[in-house]
Amino acid sequence: MIYFDNSATTRVSTEAAETALRYMTEQFFNPAAAYTPAVRLEKEVNAARARLAAAFRADPSELIFTSGGTESNNVALSGTLAARRDKCRIITSAVEHPSVYEPFTAMKSEGYDVVFIGVQPDGRLNEKEFSEALTANTGFISIMHVNNEVGAINDISSLYRIAKEKAPNAVFHSDGVQAFIKQPAVNCDMYSFSGHKLHAPKGVGGLFVKRGVRFAGGQLGGGQESGLRSGTTNVPGVMALNAAAADYVKNREEYTERMFAVKKRLFENLSRIRDVRLNGPAVEDGAAYILNMSFLGVRGEVLLHSLMDKGLLVSTGSACAARHRGKNRILNAMGVTGERQDGAIRFSFCPDNTGEEADTAAQLIEDSLNILRRFRRR
Amino acid sequence: MERVILVRYTEIHLKGLNRPFFEAKLIENIKGALRGIHCKVHREQGRIYVTEISEDRFDEAMERLKKVFGIHSISPALGVDKDWNCVVETAFSLMEKQVAAKPDLSFKVFARRSDKNYFMNSDEINRELGHLVLEKFPTVHVDIHKPEVALSVEIREKAYIYAEEIPCANGMPVGSAGRAMLLVSGGIDSPVAGYMMAKRGLNLSAVHFYSYPYTSERARDKVVELTRLLSAYAGPIRLHLVPFTDIQMTIYDNCPDKETTVIMRRLMMEIAEKIAVNDGARALITGEALGQVASQTLESLCVTDDAVSMPVFRPLIGFDKDEIMDYSRRIGTYDTSILPYEDCCTVFVPKHPVTRPEVADIRASEEAVDFTELVEKAMEETETLIVKASDPKLI
Repeated sequence: MIYFDNSATTRVSTEAAETALRYMTEQFFNPAAAYTPAVRLEKEVNAARARLAAAFRADPSELIFTSGGTESNNVALSGTLAARRDKCRIITSAVEHPSVYEPFTAMKSEGYDVVFIGVQPDGRLNEKEFSEALTANTGFISIMHVNNEVGAINDISSLYRIAKEKAPNAVFHSDGVQAFIKQPAVNCDMYSFSGHKLHAPKGVGGLFVKRGVRFAGGQLGGGQESGLRSGTTNVPGVMALNAAAADYVKNREEYTERMFAVKKRLFENLSRIRDVRLNGPAVEDGAAYILNMSFLGVRGEVLLHSLMDKGLLVSTGSACAARHRGKNRILNAMGVTGERQDGAIRFSFCPDNTGEEADTAAQLIEDSLNILRRFRRR
Repeated sequence: MERVILVRYTEIHLKGLNRPFFEAKLIENIKGALRGIHCKVHREQGRIYVTEISEDRFDEAMERLKKVFGIHSISPALGVDKDWNCVVETAFSLMEKQVAAKPDLSFKVFARRSDKNYFMNSDEINRELGHLVLEKFPTVHVDIHKPEVALSVEIREKAYIYAEEIPCANGMPVGSAGRAMLLVSGGIDSPVAGYMMAKRGLNLSAVHFYSYPYTSERARDKVVELTRLLSAYAGPIRLHLVPFTDIQMTIYDNCPDKETTVIMRRLMMEIAEKIAVNDGARALITGEALGQVASQTLESLCVTDDAVSMPVFRPLIGFDKDEIMDYSRRIGTYDTSILPYEDCCTVFVPKHPVTRPEVADIRASEEAVDFTELVEKAMEETETLIVKASDPKLI
């Protein structure tokens, strides 16, 4: 089996899994308990917090552990709005993950002035439109770092500077689920990430909240995470995340290079097939680990199932949107429509993928297309 | 005090000598629908009574009965001692709820007495209880022609008192009319078509064609789930899942492009008919509506009918899409029907299907290819499931 759907989730690394097991079966204590083994465990969690924070050039006190990307994205918005009472303007992009897009949409009916900014044909934010939308009463901004469907990379630090000039009171959040550690750290007020995109288990992630940002936090209870996110600390998850992240930090350059090589090789192979189009940024401009291509004349879903049967797992878009009907919101915003949208497939890689897999995958795709395109509407 | 459910049926009353057969079938179906809930079901004087219902599942029993075809309406009733004071108190308690909802309601007392030894006759009960209710609730008034609330009292071995009549699914008891084979695609129409024919008393078998690997496992689960939702009305359904990819490939390789859809439908009908015979079904049911798409023009329907000798029931033939969607929402299949998975009919679609096919042309195109072995193979590889309402929800 060739797994090219690493943006949906990744295989948990052996080291991360063994770490989790150890903290489930041996060091299983509640780190908030009073006895010494628990106190030691709390220290380990905080050491992990410090290491993860360092990877984002942040202070450990600025990192809140959560259940993952969706919770982080939701609470970034709700916790910021709860800390300021006015019905301010809130700004996001048209191509965000549903865990940002849906909460923003819901805020419309709460009376907030919600603005969705369009994107360029390659999937990056339209900066002019963004700049024009910024106002003094803008309270919250959320712009994704790396787009999960096409791999477009936004220059978050630069957008942050623009935002601070024109909307100094706004809190600037970025969804970094597809970028954390894989991309160089950026400057912003809040940043979400998730463990399972980095070979850690599902159910653990985090939210960076820059010191001084007014943030009311999320769920109430025992006051864990500095009172901003109550709930018993997910020690096995956090420690496994720590292990997986440490490996990624250490090898980032090599991993990026390897994934870029796979991406380029697959792209070159596929470019030889007729009627294939690249969606999103040019291959070297996008993330090393996401490639989105359209195969004209076939439906993405049909091609996906055909490839699955041959042992290649890919996706037609975000797994979080696969159960939703209708057109692809992200490709629509990029102006990728019609036959090209119908035939879009996302390939996403991890450092374990190889060039040989890229060759085999391209061959399988060509075989499938040869069958499916026989039935093309003549 | 005991809570019981009184079940009324209507159309069955029109039956003559066959009436006991229909009544027995209805009771059997009611027992089937209430399986797993402790209760007793018996018939008495043109009514069916469900008694000794486990108290914590009373509402569930009511919900399940609403989906049993052949039932006109049900009433949740209170069974109490025949002592007059007890009857009056119970009637008051029922009226209290109704008056709280609408203080100036109109009502009438409707008494029936099968215990002829009771100390009052029906008319006396009507007058006396009506009088007491008017005294107790001064805001209400009597309307004996069109009352908003019919406060009913039945004096039998116990007194049964009720004030509500809940309309149900009507129709004929499932199984009283034989068996037919429903072609299910996974869309909005076919479950509604199945519902309508089950409502006329048919037992259902169902057949679905899928194009593995080009259609998803979820598309298959969706069809199983739609069948499960339908079985809440129709009782257990035998669902046949037929692998159809090879046949589709062969059609598309060998037949004129614009005829592929109609030939595909003919082969589906042919296979459905063969399975129907094995299942003891005597007709086919489809969700087609005249003119909805190219394959549902009059000419196309004639060509599809030509592939089989069984009657083909199309209960939605005169319905608009909007009407079918309304029905689908009402019976609870809509939300599942619109889940967005490709099905075997959308995987390979010609851009310009023929809208006015001629039987002779289509037969000629079809005869150019030998489908016999492929059809046999598809039937051999068909998977059959018995789908019941009590199965776990799949998607």
